[in-house]
Amino acid sequence: MGKAKNLSQLVRPIEYDSTTNITTIKSGASDTTAVTIDASQNATLAGTLTVPGAISASGGVVGAVTGNASTATALSTASGSAPSYSARAWVNFNGTGTVAINASGNVSSITDNGVGNYTVNFTTALPDANYAVVGSINNNNSSCGFTPTALATGTTRIVTTTVNPTTSYVDFSIVTVSIFR
Amino acid sequence: MTQRIIYPTDDGGVAIIVPAGAIEDCMKDIPEGKPYKIIDTADVPTDRTFRDAWEYA
Repeated sequence: MGKAKNLSQLVRPIEYDSTTNITTIKSGASDTTAVTIDASQNATLAGTLTVPGAISASGGVVGAVTGNASTATALSTASGSAPSYSARAWVNFNGTGTVAINASGNVSSITDNGVGNYTVNFTTALPDANYAVVGSINNNNSSCGFTPTALATGTTRIVTTTVNPTTSYVDFSIVTVSIFR
Repeated sequence: MTQRIIYPTDDGGVAIIVPAGAIEDCMKDIPEGKPYKIIDTADVPTDRTFRDAWEYA
């Protein structure tokens, strides 16, 4: 049994405003507000919430969530029990005219190696080269293709081609690449 | 993103690095030991008909 705290130590850190129905929980010697609970039962934490166990959010999670990427292996699923995995890198770029990146994630640059031949360079390398490359080009001709040719942890090389009448590299105005691992 | 990095390829052509953000963030994408130049995007030809014949100069 620990030593009992006196009443002021127990009561002082919790304040309740009966007019606004806002409760605050304070901490530290300077009575800094640590938690605020408003009239709608929304709680705001001033510092960091550390949860050694799992988090269950049946109502959904709003806003950005950060975690330990080195130990996070899969995302929770919206339905069913099969795990879901997010893209580790992605890019949408124009391979014609002035080659330019339209949007990307975890991609520092693309290297234009020549006609229909590009290298996607990752900002943060993947753990290994055994990842999946998914790509598309904006051409509905079945004689066109997208092929990953060299996978490495920091880069992946892709070529965009036409195979009719002969296989040759071709530029396309919309090329998308997504990396899953 | 108004600049590009160019470097010679092993087969005598030229590779062009197109940055996603700041040019400083993609300096790591230049192969080690390769000479390179940072040029304005406007200096890269837009007609790619003979792209594979471009050379590093």
